[in-house]
Amino acid sequence: MNKTVNINLAGIFFHIDEDAYLKLQRYLEAIKRSFTDSQGRSEIISDIEARIAELFSERIKNDKQVIGLKEVDEVISIMGQPEDYLVDDEIFEDNPQANYKQPSAPSKKLFRDTDNSYISGVSSGLGHYLSVDTVWIRLLWIILTIASGGTFIIIYILFWILVPEAKTTAEKIMMTGDPVNISNIEKKIKDSIETVSETVTDVAKNVSESVSGAAKNVSDAAKKVDIQKQGNKIKSSSKSFFDTVADIIMFFFKIFAKLIGLFLLLLGAITLIALIIGLFSVGVVNFVHIPGIDLANIVMAGNSPVWLISLLVLFFIGIPFFFLFYLGLKILIDNLKSIGNVAKYTLLGLWLCSIIGLAIIGIREASEHANNEHFVERTQLTIKSNDTLYVKMNHNDIYKNPYRRRYSFKAANNSAGEKTIYSSNINILVRPTLDSVASINIEKSADGRNYEKAIERAEHINYSYHIESNVLALDSYLSTAVINKYSDQKVEIYLNIPENTILKFHNNTKNFLQYYTNNDHVVSTKHVNHFITMTTHGVLCDFCVDEEKSFEVKVDSPSIKINDSTVEINSDGGHVKINKEGLKAESKEIKVEINADGVKIESDN
Amino acid sequence: MKIENTKAQMRKGVLEFCILTVLKDEDAYVAEILDTLKNAKLLVVEGTIYPLLTRLKNAGLLSYRWEESTSGPPRKYYGLTETGKLFLKELNTTWNELQNAVNIVTNQKKHQNE
Repeated sequence: MNKTVNINLAGIFFHIDEDAYLKLQRYLEAIKRSFTDSQGRSEIISDIEARIAELFSERIKNDKQVIGLKEVDEVISIMGQPEDYLVDDEIFEDNPQANYKQPSAPSKKLFRDTDNSYISGVSSGLGHYLSVDTVWIRLLWIILTIASGGTFIIIYILFWILVPEAKTTAEKIMMTGDPVNISNIEKKIKDSIETVSETVTDVAKNVSESVSGAAKNVSDAAKKVDIQKQGNKIKSSSKSFFDTVADIIMFFFKIFAKLIGLFLLLLGAITLIALIIGLFSVGVVNFVHIPGIDLANIVMAGNSPVWLISLLVLFFIGIPFFFLFYLGLKILIDNLKSIGNVAKYTLLGLWLCSIIGLAIIGIREASEHANNEHFVERTQLTIKSNDTLYVKMNHNDIYKNPYRRRYSFKAANNSAGEKTIYSSNINILVRPTLDSVASINIEKSADGRNYEKAIERAEHINYSYHIESNVLALDSYLSTAVINKYSDQKVEIYLNIPENTILKFHNNTKNFLQYYTNNDHVVSTKHVNHFITMTTHGVLCDFCVDEEKSFEVKVDSPSIKINDSTVEINSDGGHVKINKEGLKAESKEIKVEINADGVKIESDN
Repeated sequence: MKIENTKAQMRKGVLEFCILTVLKDEDAYVAEILDTLKNAKLLVVEGTIYPLLTRLKNAGLLSYRWEESTSGPPRKYYGLTETGKLFLKELNTTWNELQNAVNIVTNQKKHQNE
């Protein structure tokens, strides 16, 4: 019993046994390989298929008959072995000179030259393909490998996997770009006789025998050269104009396709290398501590290992670009080995896994911020009604940029040499209280997956302040240990101030105050640097200026001048001028000056 | 050196000429050309002819037209073009000269041997 296959050969339908089908397929494939496109491969193949279909039809008595191995063998013996198709290339070569120039580029194929290899023959194969001495290719590999920090090895391995090895003599000749014909095969084999093992020598004997047979006939054919020359003339003149145009268009299409291929190849390679270098340096941090880069680790509040994320990102972005790279290579090199379905589906699977993995990590990281909890410390201050309280920020040398509020964070070693996260996420909120003594509430908050985690993180926030006599010095930063991660740690300072207390906020508190006041916080940025008095309804400020409401006054007349910096009055009786330097008043009898040096009064009398 | 190979190569040497000759008077499709050539024992396997026909066609010596067939796929009927006819004429002359030359050479040898 045998399984059958349905085939369509030159438009005719046949039932064929599976083994016979495979044999026929191999046969046609072998024939296909013995021609190049420039010889009109597709046309020759379709002619051959039509003939085979005809031969099959002759052998079939009724519709239900199946073609078996016997019929296929018969047909193959009629049609001849693939070698029979090849041989006449030499004898009927129309235009040998042209043939040397023309096909050398297109018929050249990339193979790995394992005969001249150091590692896998990639370099020597590329050397043949690009007609460059192998030494230069090897040198380039070494330079690129060192320059790219070793990642170019991956490109080399890709070439190794994807580029087939030159195994047969025909492939070896194709690799060097010589046309595959008898004299070249003979030459190649003669070369190998001297170097390669006996098994090859046997093959060589067979081929060189047939070749020397052919050689005799070639000399006969040489006599016909005159005829051929004339034939060529006729041919070249008769070759229609449109054929030439079509050739030129096809040529440009091919170049265009190769350019696209090159572009894809470079795009894929560069992205892969950049990705590998980038993620490797982040991923490696987990094992080798490079200062500064472990910030990534601090943000990952969900404790997802950074190397895992790097790997997932590598797959997620790298696999599509690998396929681009592969596509580019495929366009550039005709005989590229397929990476196989297993590899393709594995990569696809890995890609899908990486998407799922990244989604899970994303959700995990997001859930770390699901709960925001507060932890409150309340302390009484020795500030009573009618006292004056000065508030200023205290900065830290380790945590630079102290007076600018930042929602970001910074990792640095604290004075004890431990790695610590610093942040300036601090708010100062001032509100009136009915108590007779002022108090300060430090409200620390942080995010966490659940209530306990959030509270724990909030408790681990280090924040301090000092009060000396009536000066309250607040730290401009908060800190926490690295293990707590950066999870939106925040400190809110509530100052509960009794009525009639006078407050003065130092200029450096400005960034930590709110821009507007409301019932809960009565001091805003505009109150900075002024003495303000607390009342139940807010603060009183005599000199505070709403920045938005400030306007420019400019008066310029002969007797009065007022602008941003100066007030000047000139009159018949005297002259008054007030500016940054101080006050100057003059009349005929008296002269008054107030400035940094003191008060000076001069009188004529 | 195998005699069979030498014979095959010699036959193939004149194949181009013979194909054109077959098509001199009337158009024919591949199987017909093959029959003639096989009868003359000029061709052992059929495969050889396909690249040859394509080459001759590409060189502008042959042209073809499609014709439906009752038993099998449509057939390509090949015929000589005007250039093909000129080409064949030239080949004919050379062939005659060659034949003559070979005859003279072989006859002289015979004569000497006798």
